[in-house]
Amino acid sequence: MSATTERRAWILGTTAPALVFLLVIAYLPIAYAVSLSFFKKTAFSPTMKWVGLDNYRLILDEPELWSAFGRSVVFTLGSVGLQLALGLVAALLLNRAFMGRTLVRSLFVLPYLLPSIVVALVFQWLLSQEYGVVNQVLMQTGAVERPVNFFGGLGTAMWAVIGMAGWQYGSFATLLILARLQAINPKLYEAAAVSGAGTLRAFWDVTLPALRTTLIVIALLRGIWMFNKFDSIWLVTHGGPLKATETLPLYAYRLAFEEFDFGLAAAACSVMFVVLLVGALVYFKLFDPTREIEVGR
Amino acid sequence: MSRAQTSGALALLLVILVVVAFPFYWMVLTSFTPRAALFSPPYRLFRLDLSLDNYRELLFATEFARYFLNSLIAAVGAIVLNVVAATLAGYGLTRFAFPGKKPFAFGTLFSYMFPPMLMAIPLYILFSALQMRNTYTGLILAHMAISLPLNIWLMWQYFQIVPVSLEEAAWTSGASRLAALRQVCLPSARPGILSVAIFSFALSWNDFTFAFILQTDRKMFTLPVGLASFVEQTGVHWGMVMAAAVLVSVPTFLLVFFLQRYLLSGLRATG
Repeated sequence: MSATTERRAWILGTTAPALVFLLVIAYLPIAYAVSLSFFKKTAFSPTMKWVGLDNYRLILDEPELWSAFGRSVVFTLGSVGLQLALGLVAALLLNRAFMGRTLVRSLFVLPYLLPSIVVALVFQWLLSQEYGVVNQVLMQTGAVERPVNFFGGLGTAMWAVIGMAGWQYGSFATLLILARLQAINPKLYEAAAVSGAGTLRAFWDVTLPALRTTLIVIALLRGIWMFNKFDSIWLVTHGGPLKATETLPLYAYRLAFEEFDFGLAAAACSVMFVVLLVGALVYFKLFDPTREIEVGR
Repeated sequence: MSRAQTSGALALLLVILVVVAFPFYWMVLTSFTPRAALFSPPYRLFRLDLSLDNYRELLFATEFARYFLNSLIAAVGAIVLNVVAATLAGYGLTRFAFPGKKPFAFGTLFSYMFPPMLMAIPLYILFSALQMRNTYTGLILAHMAISLPLNIWLMWQYFQIVPVSLEEAAWTSGASRLAALRQVCLPSARPGILSVAIFSFALSWNDFTFAFILQTDRKMFTLPVGLASFVEQTGVHWGMVMAAAVLVSVPTFLLVFFLQRYLLSGLRATG
């Protein structure tokens, strides 16, 4: 075997498995979903019928799609806002030296790594109308007169879901912000103190500018994921009550597995894909990921 | 910083600490609370009359063991395939110059953002046609879709800091490329490989969406899907459900308290 052939064999042998897996299990399904959106296909018929843009005409005229889209936006803005706020406050506090900091920091990492099912079950139990300890405390302290039906109430369900997502994913923000805080040169704070800046002023002039990029990255990535979040919401509300928490991915799920219209579901998925694409383009525009790795030319 | 500010910060930290920690505390306490006590609120926030009945019922009267086995098989499969594919890719991408790395980098990171629901619906249809629903192979492949992009990225970064000079030294002493890879390169890349294994495990273990959509046969349920079915039934036995939640979280606790540095290296890679 010549040196060039051997080199080619190594390049192919090492990169082909990853490339093939990525193409077959990540890109192929997405491409299939997009192509499916041009066909009439239901769960009961094995045949597919080309319908062109009919599915899109149907779904873009469908008020349910736009209400689901709106709820996705509310859920995304609410939960990402909460994650950033919690993450920032927690990271600022954890950045100070105190006894047991390592243990507390580990505790703050936990929620993000817990399976969604665990978070969903624990919050259903905590917030249960009948047996929930939160309602018990609220009643005992007189904060409410009747137990609140958090996940089942029309006015409360979305907020309860947002709160739960904030609790679970806030620690992602905490970790990234904390890592960035610890990389800030302490000399900057000394300089700020010398020029007479108080704590708040130093935060405004030194901390926030240093965190800008990190905060944008968190908002973008978490925004993309929250917009398309299925499991957390489905597990606690199934999209209810009366579709009050039916975001876009739950709507797509209902079209596919409760109304058995895969073509329409694929069209809804394509709408999700467009949102994802826009988010990814903004992300790649702001941060060239190939700076982190050597790509040769 | 003034004393008032310091004590204010401490008070705030305590409030946040309670918010973060209380759900864990309540989960664990409930799992050890006798059934009778759970049906007679109001509850005491502290109690000592603990029992193992909920765990006993979970392990011996439900399909928990079966779900556990299914989850474990899926996770092990995902770990093995991820480690092999990501390690090879990381090595090849850092040791050879060839065109197309830049689109590959963007393609990898883009697929890292793909949400499960977007892939699960088409996979359901494809796997139905291929008779791969309710199989371990199908679920393992689906789990790779969520973990492989990040893992390729991790190994790509990691092999950059494994010095090539070590391998070159091995070559000059007559070792083949394969021998140098196995004896010199892989041992130095071990922390990166461990990160990949941990991530593959966590993403597979935590997955609900894929398993819920692809594994419709009760015998093939993973833990998250099985646990979700516990609360679908009427008359939820919360003591047992919390016992299940505790057991499913055990790996997470172990990872966070013993292998945290490997997890953090991965988080940084996500931006």
